[in-house]
Amino acid sequence: MSLSVKDLDAWIEKLYRCEFLSEDQVKTLCEKAKEIFITESNVQTVCCPVTVCGDVHGQFQDLIELFRIGGDSPDTNYLFMGDYVDRGYYSVETVSLLICLKVRYKDRITILRGNHESRQITQVYGFYDECTKKYANTNVWKYFTDLFDYLPLTALIENQIFSLHGGLSPSIDTLDHVRALDRIQEVPHEGPMCDLLWSDPDDRCGWGMSPRGAGYTFGQDISEQFNHHNGLTLIARAHQLVMEGYNWIHSKHVATIFSAPNYCYRCGNQAAIMELDDTLKYTCLQFDPAPRKGEPEVARRTPDYFL
Amino acid sequence: MSDEPVMATNDDASECKRGAVQLGYWQDNYIPYFVRQIEKRAPEINRGYYARVKGVERFIKTFLKKAGSSSQIVNLGAGFDTLYWRLKDQGVYMSNYVEIDFPTVTARKCYAIKRNKQLLERIHEQDGEVKLSATDLHAGNYHCIGADLRNISQLEMKLQQAEVSFANPTLFIAECVLVYIENDCVNRLLGWIASKFKSALFVNYEMCNMNDTFGDVMLGNLRARGCTLAGISFCKNLETQKSRFISNNWQGAKAWDMVQIYYDLPAAERQRIEKIEFLDEQELLIQLFQHYCICVGWLGTEFADISCNGGD
Repeated sequence: MSLSVKDLDAWIEKLYRCEFLSEDQVKTLCEKAKEIFITESNVQTVCCPVTVCGDVHGQFQDLIELFRIGGDSPDTNYLFMGDYVDRGYYSVETVSLLICLKVRYKDRITILRGNHESRQITQVYGFYDECTKKYANTNVWKYFTDLFDYLPLTALIENQIFSLHGGLSPSIDTLDHVRALDRIQEVPHEGPMCDLLWSDPDDRCGWGMSPRGAGYTFGQDISEQFNHHNGLTLIARAHQLVMEGYNWIHSKHVATIFSAPNYCYRCGNQAAIMELDDTLKYTCLQFDPAPRKGEPEVARRTPDYFL
Repeated sequence: MSDEPVMATNDDASECKRGAVQLGYWQDNYIPYFVRQIEKRAPEINRGYYARVKGVERFIKTFLKKAGSSSQIVNLGAGFDTLYWRLKDQGVYMSNYVEIDFPTVTARKCYAIKRNKQLLERIHEQDGEVKLSATDLHAGNYHCIGADLRNISQLEMKLQQAEVSFANPTLFIAECVLVYIENDCVNRLLGWIASKFKSALFVNYEMCNMNDTFGDVMLGNLRARGCTLAGISFCKNLETQKSRFISNNWQGAKAWDMVQIYYDLPAAERQRIEKIEFLDEQELLIQLFQHYCICVGWLGTEFADISCNGGD
């Protein structure tokens, strides 16, 4: 099976117009992407300059806005920290585009796994239903969720910034512990791999029960100790809706970056991305929701309320 | 402005309720007769509908306990609500039960009742007569009538046809109804009720705390489906919700946002429904709850001590 650069560029162009690929194209794309992801580490090395992005959640128009604000791929290097699918109405187009860019420019874009890149979660929050609606069968959902098993869990920027979707785990003290995980599997319900994708920082010290029902909450003491122990300056993570798009916690040991503006088309939040220049100096860029262009007015879905 | 989009909110709410019932959030054997299709909704929407149905139900129970067998219920903008049948199954006796909605909506409801034996046999008193027109249905103590809540003289006439007694303790229910009506029409409606009924409790479920970005986004999203929230200025906060009753000559009013209502529901039930579907982002549910409320207003003294925990 071969995939030419010309084909790939044509797919990317099509996806930029928010038109989804055919089932066979997705199959080919996922096979190619798998070959790349399998070579990547659980702690994937990333160099600066790089722009770090949080949850996108199928809000395709807002991903295009993100590229407008942050610069086109591959002119800008990107690190995406997971949650490409579910909730938004264009998960298929969103994840297809990001994976295409990965296959086309593998050293220019890093794609981590979020807790929504999972078979179980996508059946509750929309990606499964969207795939079956757009393709009239479950094959595309299967291709993508099979691929998700290969996504790297974390990234390390210039040996200083540890980047991942959720947060820390009581079973993990060092980056080598992360490197030793067998990640090629569905996100488990508990344990270190689950925690990395599910945990949240908290104002309370130590480890706490997560209100999410998976992962843990961790306090400033935990973050400081982890960063110190591993020679890190910062944990950059996503996973939580923050109204300003980004948020510092634990005396700047942890940053949350959330890149889905007006999340669920309902929440009224801003989004943000974090640019790290070649000296690792950071700039947070906030952005607002893009107009939902190109959607026919009649077919346009509105988010749910109690009516 | 067309009323069609407002009528369509009944379909939306009914579909959501049917979906939540199907998943086991609460029991309602009758909603499937009115709604055929279900589209899957996110867990926070299902939980929110649970809180709405159970929250309103608590006030209904308190009312029925206080008012006894002479109690009368008037459900404004009832849509495909199934409360009458559910109360009947529980053996609750009421003197009169009246549902009011746009004639286009009541016509569909009457048609569904006529077509389904399970619905019809519960409203049909033995030897009683069922009077049915295209949009109205009268049978025993059940009345479904098509009327425009903005037209008081028509409403009064229709309520008389439905044998409403102004002297009996009466519960008015409105779930996301007043918010679609212009302020002066709502004022006229509430003022008219206050002038006619001696003893009444009004349970109003709708938006509140709308003065923020979430509120702006909601207005925009509903406008996109053709729905203007004409009565939104009363949804600014709990105070504006309450003062609307007071300024229209009701004796008193209280209001709670849905965060309070939800966490005052029996803990065991809440724990049961929280296990039905996994909801990882609590903040999405809380944000919705912060923007909805139940406001109660009362006439007379009988219901002045009402509270949201229903005393159970």
